[in-house]
Amino acid sequence: MSEDTFMGVPREKIDWSPRIDYSKCNYCMECVKFCPHQVFEVREHEEKKLIVKNPQNCIVFCRACSKTCGPDALSFPDKGEVTRKIKELREEMK
Amino acid sequence: MSKRYALLPCNGLDKTAGCISREIALKVEERSESEIICPVFFRVAEAKYRQSTQDRPLVVIDGCQTRCASKLAAEKNLKIAEKITVTEEAKKRGQQIGASLRLGSNELALAEAIAQQLLAEESKKEKEVKRAGEEVVAFPEKYEYEIYTKDKFIFRVPKGEQFFFNENDCWAYVIGHRARVGVTDFVQQSLSDIMFFTPPTIGAEVEQFGELGNIESGKAVFEIVSPVSGKVVAVNDELVSSPERINDNPYEKGWIAELELTNFENDRELLLDFKSYFNILKRKVDSFHV
Ligand code: SF4
Ligand code: SF4
Repeated sequence: MSEDTFMGVPREKIDWSPRIDYSKCNYCMECVKFCPHQVFEVREHEEKKLIVKNPQNCIVFCRACSKTCGPDALSFPDKGEVTRKIKELREEMK
Repeated sequence: MSKRYALLPCNGLDKTAGCISREIALKVEERSESEIICPVFFRVAEAKYRQSTQDRPLVVIDGCQTRCASKLAAEKNLKIAEKITVTEEAKKRGQQIGASLRLGSNELALAEAIAQQLLAEESKKEKEVKRAGEEVVAFPEKYEYEIYTKDKFIFRVPKGEQFFFNENDCWAYVIGHRARVGVTDFVQQSLSDIMFFTPPTIGAEVEQFGELGNIESGKAVFEIVSPVSGKVVAVNDELVSSPERINDNPYEKGWIAELELTNFENDRELLLDFKSYFNILKRKVDSFHV
């Protein structure tokens, strides 16, 4: 199950999810096995065998799957910027 | 004094970083009294290395984040004294690792640099940072907990107004301008036996949600997500030799670091109190099998 909000801000407004560098990824699928939130989707018969299907399922500020990735193909947005954005959004909502 | 390590490289033959791990082990072995453990042979003839792994501090050299050597050490219940991941070291040094399995001059230079670092490395005790002139804030040794149980797993959450949490399962206990920070039972239960702690650097400025080191088990690596912003003024050195303290109690003897707070009023906005975190924890525990 995923949360709909993060600290009161609608989850879809927060840009936080893994980015796959397809020039590095070797489709070992370790990240898929690791993450319990159905963020990734495997597509056996397509050229990109792995996509970030549900970015909003990703836990804000988690980067755990990148630590399972041998070729270092996963990256994330800048935490400082995302934090600032969340604070701004909270201001707007007041 | 010459080092006497037991060196466990991943020796990944089909990856450049794995080949570099072997090169590093060779270089250290040649210039110290260390012994190399072959990960392949270790699997079939553990007894051969029993003496060595018992008597010497174990240095694990992983090529990449797949952490094959660390996982082997975890499986064999070995205590890790020092740990190197080649791809991480390359990143730190701003170096690229080539694709060829035969090491070129760049890769050899990287191996050399890492080997020298290992040979120079003082033991953790020796390099403990002295906190001269720092005021010492006394944090309580015991807290009161609310407990949530699922199957055989027990999740404690400490009560008290000075406790703050983030949704990434890390806590801060705030006294004045100081905070002690750690992970919650949810992290420790999900990882199970923690075998390695990479501390944050003393003096480092950390933003809220920034990284405060890592803890690692055979299962996974967990990045400690700082609930507060500030400067790292103390690290729980005990965890370097006894990371299992985090499993025993991640709030008391298993705390991670202390920070001098820089903007707590602001940080607070994005923190949860005991009650909110306890509800989130219950939800998490119910929806995942640990
Ligand atoms: S762990 Fe890394 S290399 Fe493996 S599938 Fe995921 S992104 Fe690709
Ligand atoms: S960062 Fe965490 S929640 Fe997000 S995809 Fe990776 S493991 Fe899953």
